[in-house]
Amino acid sequence: MIGLIGDSLWRGWAGLLILSLASTLAAQWVGAGIATPLIGALILALAYFKARLILSRYLGLAATPFWNRGFGMVLGGYMAGLLVLYLIPLR
Amino acid sequence: MSEGATESRLSELPGDLMMWVLIVSELLVFGAGLAAFLAVRTTDTGGFAEAQDLLDRTAGGINTAVLVTSGLCAALAVRWRRAHRRLGARLWLGAAALLGGLFLWVKAVEYGDKIAAGIGTETHPFFTFYYLLTGFHAAHVAAGIIILGLIAWRDSLNNLETGTAFWHMVDLVWVLLFPVIYLLR
Repeated sequence: MIGLIGDSLWRGWAGLLILSLASTLAAQWVGAGIATPLIGALILALAYFKARLILSRYLGLAATPFWNRGFGMVLGGYMAGLLVLYLIPLR
Repeated sequence: MSEGATESRLSELPGDLMMWVLIVSELLVFGAGLAAFLAVRTTDTGGFAEAQDLLDRTAGGINTAVLVTSGLCAALAVRWRRAHRRLGARLWLGAAALLGGLFLWVKAVEYGDKIAAGIGTETHPFFTFYYLLTGFHAAHVAAGIIILGLIAWRDSLNNLETGTAFWHMVDLVWVLLFPVIYLLR
């Protein structure tokens, strides 16, 4: 068990499960007094971190900092674009 | 950057370069689809929210857990193959494919429920995107299962690295599709 905790693949998998659960739970907060745009932004941020985990741990980009950083920046820009599109009707 | 430096950078990418070209191409296609979904949503947020309430978020959440676990199995297969443990690598690939099959089964149940309720692609623009994006993704899952079978048969390390990269791309697309289509209100 301790070996699994120290293993980057298993930790990545656990992180993905936790982030997925967190985003599903966050979606339940709509209408519970928390501003909807904040919940939407949180869900998109969690999706970004999940995608980064898959790129770095499963696809092995953690071993190549140049590409890991590059993919992270492009993905971050894309998620920011999605956030803008999501927020437009809420203005 | 000189040509040599560019080649050196490209050679740093794990696995086959052509698979990375495919991964980036697929991400662009699905990325454009998701952006179009959110752009159309700006014209009818209420209708999109009502339509989204008809989705089974639990099934979507279960499928997320299934697919990321399948991705772990595929990544472990490569690790075991690197350690020359071919049987173990094949078993991990089999587990990844089985979980992929489970994903498709849950998706089929979800589609069946929608169709039984009279919800089709023409019901609302939300469902046009829903069927288009999740259906296209499901087709990739089906293709990925075939690829996992092929690399379990022809199990060179290069084949495993390339084939499992496709599987991780399918995983990556889902972790972006699921929150945008099922969860964003």
